Amino acid sequence: MYLAVFAGGAAGSLLREALALEIPGLPLVTATFGINTVSCLILGWLFAVRNRVHAHVLHLGAVGFCGGLSTFSSFIFELDRMVRLEGWTTGLGAMALEIAAGLAAAVLGEAVGRRREAR
Amino acid sequence: MSGLYLHLLFALGGGLGAVLRHWTARRITHDLPLATLAVNVAGTLLLGLWLGHLDAVGAAVSEDARRLVFGFCGGLTTFSSFAYQTLDLHRSRTILTAAGNILASVALCVAAFLLGQKLAG
Repeated sequence: MYLAVFAGGAAGSLLREALALEIPGLPLVTATFGINTVSCLILGWLFAVRNRVHAHVLHLGAVGFCGGLSTFSSFIFELDRMVRLEGWTTGLGAMALEIAAGLAAAVLGEAVGRRREAR
Repeated sequence: MSGLYLHLLFALGGGLGAVLRHWTARRITHDLPLATLAVNVAGTLLLGLWLGHLDAVGAAVSEDARRLVFGFCGGLTTFSSFAYQTLDLHRSRTILTAAGNILASVALCVAAFLLGQKLAG
């Protein structure tokens, strides 16, 4: 179980590093923003199909990969930087946008998973 | 230093962070997503400490160590579980609980980040 979590976390981290290096940060929509939103989408989908897959898949995919791919610490780091550079309004706006995007992505991922389940 | 080696160190940090996160989640079982909150606060505090430390001693820290710790912070903290659990709180409880989770997470993590930087700086 912990091995699956470790493998997923390592793979997710690698992908995050690769993506973060390749996409230079835009003022509001940073690489972390995109990465976090995508992992929320995947996590929502995985939870929707969780009854059909082996527990190891969840450990590897949900706990390991999605958790390794998404990050809260960089999110806070970028928030802090944005507040310093652009002021409170922009920082809080970006934060609200990122959280809203994450929630929406999770809902969307779930909807996709449920739809396939229904077939 | 070869690029591959540094990527592997980053991945190692991320994997170890994920394992600690999962270990915490299994120890702290609560109706509210306290385990996620705890790992996010801890990871953000660590990132703040680390960035403060890097600011202070800068060049003395090797690229290996930088990668390992950055990987660990990212692996330990999670945004996806935070978002999913917030959604869950909204469904199983009230929208206020969900909003509270967002506010508590952001406020505590910002505080932890600033505290870390201050302590290390």
